[in-house]
Amino acid sequence: MKSALHNMNPSVKFVLVTICMFTLAFFFNPWTPLFVWMGVIMMQLLFSRIDWKMWMLFMIPFVIMAFGYFWTTLVFAEDKSGPVVLSVWSMHITEVQLNHALSLSFRVLAFSGLSLLFALTTNPVSFILSLMQQMRLSPKIAYSILVGYQFLPVLKDEFVQIQQAHRLRGAVQEKNVFRRLLNMRKILLPMLAGAVRKAERAAFAMEARGFTGEKRKSFYTIIHVGKVDGYMVSLFMLLIVLSCTSVLYIN
Amino acid sequence: MLEVIRFDHVSFRYPDEEKWIFEDLSFSVEHGERVVITGPSGCGKSTLLYLCNRLYPGNCDGIVKGTITLFDKESEAYEPGEVNHKIATVFQDPDAQFCMLTVEEELAFTLENLNVNRKEMDERIRDVLELTGLTDFRQSIIQQLSGGEKQRIATACALIMEPEVLLLDEPISHLDPYTAKQFISWLDELQKKRSLTIVAIEHRVDLWDSFFDRSISLESMPGAGLLLKREISKQGKQALQVCKVRTDSFLQETSFTLEKGEVAVLAGPNGSGKSTLLKTLCGLIPSKGTVKPSQLGYVPQSPEFLFITKSVKDELSFGGGNGADILLERLHLSAVTEAHPFAVSHGQKRRVAIASMLCDGREIILMDEPTSGQDAASLSELAGLIDERAREGTTFLIVTHDMEFAYAVADTLLLIKKGYLTGKFSADSVWEDEQLLTAHHLLQPKGWMAREVCFA
Repeated sequence: MKSALHNMNPSVKFVLVTICMFTLAFFFNPWTPLFVWMGVIMMQLLFSRIDWKMWMLFMIPFVIMAFGYFWTTLVFAEDKSGPVVLSVWSMHITEVQLNHALSLSFRVLAFSGLSLLFALTTNPVSFILSLMQQMRLSPKIAYSILVGYQFLPVLKDEFVQIQQAHRLRGAVQEKNVFRRLLNMRKILLPMLAGAVRKAERAAFAMEARGFTGEKRKSFYTIIHVGKVDGYMVSLFMLLIVLSCTSVLYIN
Repeated sequence: MLEVIRFDHVSFRYPDEEKWIFEDLSFSVEHGERVVITGPSGCGKSTLLYLCNRLYPGNCDGIVKGTITLFDKESEAYEPGEVNHKIATVFQDPDAQFCMLTVEEELAFTLENLNVNRKEMDERIRDVLELTGLTDFRQSIIQQLSGGEKQRIATACALIMEPEVLLLDEPISHLDPYTAKQFISWLDELQKKRSLTIVAIEHRVDLWDSFFDRSISLESMPGAGLLLKREISKQGKQALQVCKVRTDSFLQETSFTLEKGEVAVLAGPNGSGKSTLLKTLCGLIPSKGTVKPSQLGYVPQSPEFLFITKSVKDELSFGGGNGADILLERLHLSAVTEAHPFAVSHGQKRRVAIASMLCDGREIILMDEPTSGQDAASLSELAGLIDERAREGTTFLIVTHDMEFAYAVADTLLLIKKGYLTGKFSADSVWEDEQLLTAHHLLQPKGWMAREVCFA
């Protein structure tokens, strides 16, 4: 029960999340995205074991963005019709204005909530394997992503090493963020050179073990589509339908 | 006997280069043989190996003349990937030949490539792990294993295809001497069990003792390949004082001193903290204790990590030091002063790195694994460089696995094990003490043994 979201087939989950997002795009009112967002949080509370601290951390930029949308839409709104609901100093906010602002900011929250649900409950390796098995992704692309994923820690080590070497040379860390970004290329250049070499080696090693990039007939780790997926799909659909129709009975 | 690989008058060159890598090469390998291919870097050893497993010419659009026959069939007549399960390959770099997370997944990846039925997979994985004695590693995460273990896993991945020929691309160049020896004797047993044909490329054949039946030399080794033992160049004046240095996590309390002009080699097993000690000494890792002087020169395994500017000359004067011109000349870099530091040869890169350290007034040079993956010619060039600089008063502390090299250059040895510095010894006293060597995964250098025989 607590791991239903983790046990879902990653491809099914991916399609589901995409459908939810697509549907949301057609509804411009504050309630639908708000309900979806709350529903998504509810579902994660019930069916997942995610690290909520991490969730909050990832949510921070989206909350800021949502507030930004809210604020700018309020201040720079074009359509200022409707009765005034709120007056702050000399600013009069109409119902239409407020509705637009809330719709936009909740939409940001709903989208980010859905993306985080997917990102935090999916193992990247099984996602790729599942894309290959259920969505007919070509092994050539799938395995190149997997190899890249294995290389990430190696690249990180290399980055630190180069940074250390440069520090030793007396290259002082720039305080100016823009300058620091510009200096980054001095680190990235040797890294890139190394990465090209590594990539070639990895490709050779794969080919030497008979990898041709053709569709495979058998898999060792099979990513199943099971009952859990059925239940979760129905639940999501229910949530979407309820949120979309909410406008009807609230008004 | 059955011929498995046969080259008839084969020449090869890359499409955008005029020069042939090798010309009119003919040889054959028979079933069950152990053959080594030798030659200096850049003579086409790897190219030859890639022609044997059909990675070339397809992957580089190379131009081949002559005929290559694999198992009585011309190489070009095979489908891509078809011959790879009969001729399997183990590569040099333990970090760049895996694409999955765990050993089991990696083995399964190989079987999937061959379209093996899923029901058979489990049994074949179990069998190959048993054969190679790696059963305990089945669920291990590959990136967390040591270099030696990774090479054994890579060999298991090659063997699971049930190949007839095993190609090895300098498989021991990243391993410490003891681990390398273990790998070789492990391979020896495997070869007997499975009656494999083994074709290896290697420029340090001496490490393999009598493993190979015969060797094919691509180009005669230049005479410079012989490493000669240098004279001791200590000048009796203390240059480096390390007092009670330790890090919070791994490195135990370490104290030692080095003299001006002294060449010390830091040796120990894979993962014993050699690189950590070097980095701690030059202040890249926070630590307690004192190091005098505080400014030490450091040359990482890839010297290009140090380079910041766009020309060799700027690179030297980057730290604000004077005398760049004199140093350029003394380190034989006059010809490349205006070149981009990334565009010069590996040996030159290392000289640029050392020169820029010296130019900053860092008279003590710490070198991390400068010998790894170097052929005989560049090793002797490196030994010559160190000797020359040491004579002029530079102090060296060098991390290396290469015992022949250590024997040739070292005045003293610092031995380290599990983050604990066992001590500083004069070189000769270490070579005598087999117990001490074994405890640190080291072997007696052949040079030393030859000399002992002479005296006896």
